[in-house]
Amino acid sequence: MYESIAFYVFAISTTILFLITVMSKNVLYAMTALAAGMVMISGFFFLLGADFLGVVQLVVYVGAVMALYAFGMMFFDATKDIKEKHQNPALVFLLGGLMALVFVVMFSAPIIGDNIKAFYPVIEGVGNAQAVGMVLFTKYLVPFEVAGLLLLVAMIAGIILAGKKMDYSLTESEAADEEMKIEPNSIEIQKGDA
Amino acid sequence: MSLEQFKDRNVGTQNYVKLDLEHTPTEGWCKFKQVVKRTFQPELFQGLGVTLREMINALFRNKMHTTKYPFEKLPISPRYRAVHDMLRLMESGNYRCIGCGLCEKICISDCIAMETKYDENQRKEVSEYTINFGRCIFCGYCAEVCPELAIVHGGRFENASEQRAGFSLFEDMLTPMDQLNQQQEYAGFGAISPNADENIKSTPLAY
Amino acid sequence: MDATMLPEVTAAGVIVKAVIILAVIAAIAGFGTYIERKILAFMQRRLGPTHVGPFGLLQLAADGIKLFTKEDIIPQHANKFIFAIAPVITAATAFIALAAVPVFPDFTIWEWVPFLGGVFVPSIAADINVGILFVLGMMASGLYGPLLAGMAQANKWGIIGSARTAIQFLSYEVVTGLSILAPIMIVGSLSFVDFNNYQTDGLWMVVYQPVAFILFIIAGFAETNRTPFDLLEHEAEIISGYVTEYSGMRWGLFFIGEYANMITIGIIASVVFLGGYNDFWFIPAWIMIILKIAFSFFFMLWVRASWPHVRPDQLMWLCWKVLMPLAVINILITGLVIMI
Repeated sequence: MYESIAFYVFAISTTILFLITVMSKNVLYAMTALAAGMVMISGFFFLLGADFLGVVQLVVYVGAVMALYAFGMMFFDATKDIKEKHQNPALVFLLGGLMALVFVVMFSAPIIGDNIKAFYPVIEGVGNAQAVGMVLFTKYLVPFEVAGLLLLVAMIAGIILAGKKMDYSLTESEAADEEMKIEPNSIEIQKGDA
Repeated sequence: MSLEQFKDRNVGTQNYVKLDLEHTPTEGWCKFKQVVKRTFQPELFQGLGVTLREMINALFRNKMHTTKYPFEKLPISPRYRAVHDMLRLMESGNYRCIGCGLCEKICISDCIAMETKYDENQRKEVSEYTINFGRCIFCGYCAEVCPELAIVHGGRFENASEQRAGFSLFEDMLTPMDQLNQQQEYAGFGAISPNADENIKSTPLAY
Repeated sequence: MDATMLPEVTAAGVIVKAVIILAVIAAIAGFGTYIERKILAFMQRRLGPTHVGPFGLLQLAADGIKLFTKEDIIPQHANKFIFAIAPVITAATAFIALAAVPVFPDFTIWEWVPFLGGVFVPSIAADINVGILFVLGMMASGLYGPLLAGMAQANKWGIIGSARTAIQFLSYEVVTGLSILAPIMIVGSLSFVDFNNYQTDGLWMVVYQPVAFILFIIAGFAETNRTPFDLLEHEAEIISGYVTEYSGMRWGLFFIGEYANMITIGIIASVVFLGGYNDFWFIPAWIMIILKIAFSFFFMLWVRASWPHVRPDQLMWLCWKVLMPLAVINILITGLVIMI
C-alpha cells in the first residue's frame, strides 16, 4: 500500500517537473525542475530495491545538471523569460505527442501482453552494487568499455579545445619574476657601515 | 642615553631575515621537484602551530589582548585633545576665566560663543559660555591662547550624543567644586607624555 | 558486535533516532556558530562573545531572536520562488544526509523511561546498504542551494557566487569519490556499519589509507565550503557571494545547513577512517565518537584561523592536477595489494 502511494507521488511529481522543464520559458525554472525531476526518478529505483542505481542516478544527474547550470548561467539571464521562436507550434505539438504515444505503446505492449521477464533476476544474498558489477563486467563488458573509451575521447578533445595557454600562470613565470625583480642577491643586507 | 646610539642609523635592519626566493622553475622536472618540496614541507602545520600557540597563550598564559572597552579604558596621552575643561583657581575656587575673549577670537571653526559683563566688583564675569561640539575640530588653539590656563583640553573623548550638535555650557566644563582637589594642571599640548623616553627610537633609515 | 544478537529495529526506534538527529544536530549546528566565534577569537587572542549569558553562551539565543525577527527581504527583480526555496534545499539536504550516517552506537532505552522504555535505537536511522554514496550524493545536491540562490537573486555578486559553486562542485566531486573508493575496496561494502565493524578489532582505516584520508579531508573542506576553499562567499572578493541578498531566517538556514554538513563530514571521516564508534582502550564508544566528531569540527575551525584562501583556479588546479592523479594511483596500489 505504502509502495503504491509512494509510486504515485513520485510519478506525478516527476511528470509535473518534466512538464515544467519543457514548458517553462524561464531557464532557472526549467533547469531546477530538471534537477528535481532527476532526483524524483531516483525514488523509483529506491522503490524497486535498486539502492545502488538510485544513488548513482542521484550523484550523476546532480553533477550533470550542475554543469548544465554553468552553461545556462553563461548564455541566459536567469531572471528574465526567454522569447522562443515557434514556426509552427501545432505541428510540433502533434509530432511530439505522436512520438510520446508511440513510445508508451512500445514500452507498455510487453507488459500488457504479460510477456516480460527479467534476464538477470535479483540474486538473493548478493548486494546491489555487486549485482550491478557482475552484469556490467560480464554481459555488458564491451558496451561498458566502449562507453569509457568514448568518454576518454571526449575528455581529450575537450582539453585540446580549451587547453590553450593553460600552463601560463600570472604569478609563476619568468615574466612575473622580472616584474617582481627577484635577483638572487638583491635582498642581502649590508651591515654596519652607513 | 648616549649620542652613539643615535649615530648608528642602521638599527632597523639588524632583524631582517633574508627570504629564500628562488626563480620559477621552467623545466618539467624542476617543477615536479618544486611541487614535491612544497608538499612535504611542514609549512602548513607551522601555521596551525602558530594559531594553537596563540590560543594557549590567550587562554592559559593570560595574554588576552581584548580591552573590555566601556568597562575598562586604556590610558590616553596627556597631550590628547578631547572635550574641554574649565579650570578653577586652587586657592579661592573661583573660575580662572577672565573673560578676555581670546579663545572666541582665535577659534577657527567659530564654535565658542561667550558673553561677559562687569559684576558688582567691576570684575569681568562670564555670563554665558558655550562650545558647539558639533563644529569644534579640537585644534587646541583656544587652550594655547588662553593667558590664564583656564580653558584646557580634558580626557573625555566619548562625545557621542543623541543630537547632531552637542552644546556644552560653561558649567558643564567647569571643574565641580567638590572635586577641586583632584583638578590637574594641564601640561599643555606641547608637553611630552610621561613615558616619552621609552618611546624614543632612532629613525630606521640608512642615508 | 554480532549481527545475529541485535534486537529487531522497530519504527519507534527509528523515530527516536530521527528525533535525536534532528533535535541534537540542529541545536549543535546552531551552537556551532558560537563555538566557531569563540575559538576563532581565542586563536586571535580575543575574547569572542561574552556578554549574553555566562561566557556568552546565550549568544545563540540572541542571534536566533535577531534572525527570526529580521525583515525577510526579497529583492525586486529576483526570481521569488527559487529565491525562497534555495536555503531550504541546503538545510534539508544536510539533514537528509544525516539520516544515513551512524551518529551514535546502537543502544536500548532504559526500562524505566515511560512509553519508550526498552526500545532499541539503531545507530543509523535509515540503514541503506549504499550509505556512503547516498550521503555524498545528498551533500553534493546540497550545493544546489548556493547555486540557485546566487542565480535567483538578480545580483552580480550572487551570479559570481553561483558560478564559483559550479566550479567548486566540478573540482572536488571527483576527488571525494575517488579518495573514498580505496577504503570501500578494502572493506568491500558501501555500508557505514560494515566500515565500523571492519575497524572493531583491527587498526583504524587511516593506518591503511593515509593518502585517501588526507584527500578526503581536503575534499571535505571543499564540500562544506570551509576556509581554504570557501570561494562561494569569500567576503573580501565577492561581498558574500550567494548570500549577499539574503536576510533573516533564510540566511540562517544556509548556515544551519553548512554546520550540519561540517558535522556530517566529521562523522564520515570518523566512521570511515578513524575507527568509528568502537570502544578505545577504556573509553566507551559513544564518548569516542563524540570526541572524534568534536576534534574534526575543531580542526575545521583551526584551519580557518590559520590558512589563507585559495583562488578558484587554484582549487581546480589542485583537484584535477594533483589530487585526482594521487587518488587514482592510490586506488591502483590498493587494488594491486588486494589482488596479491
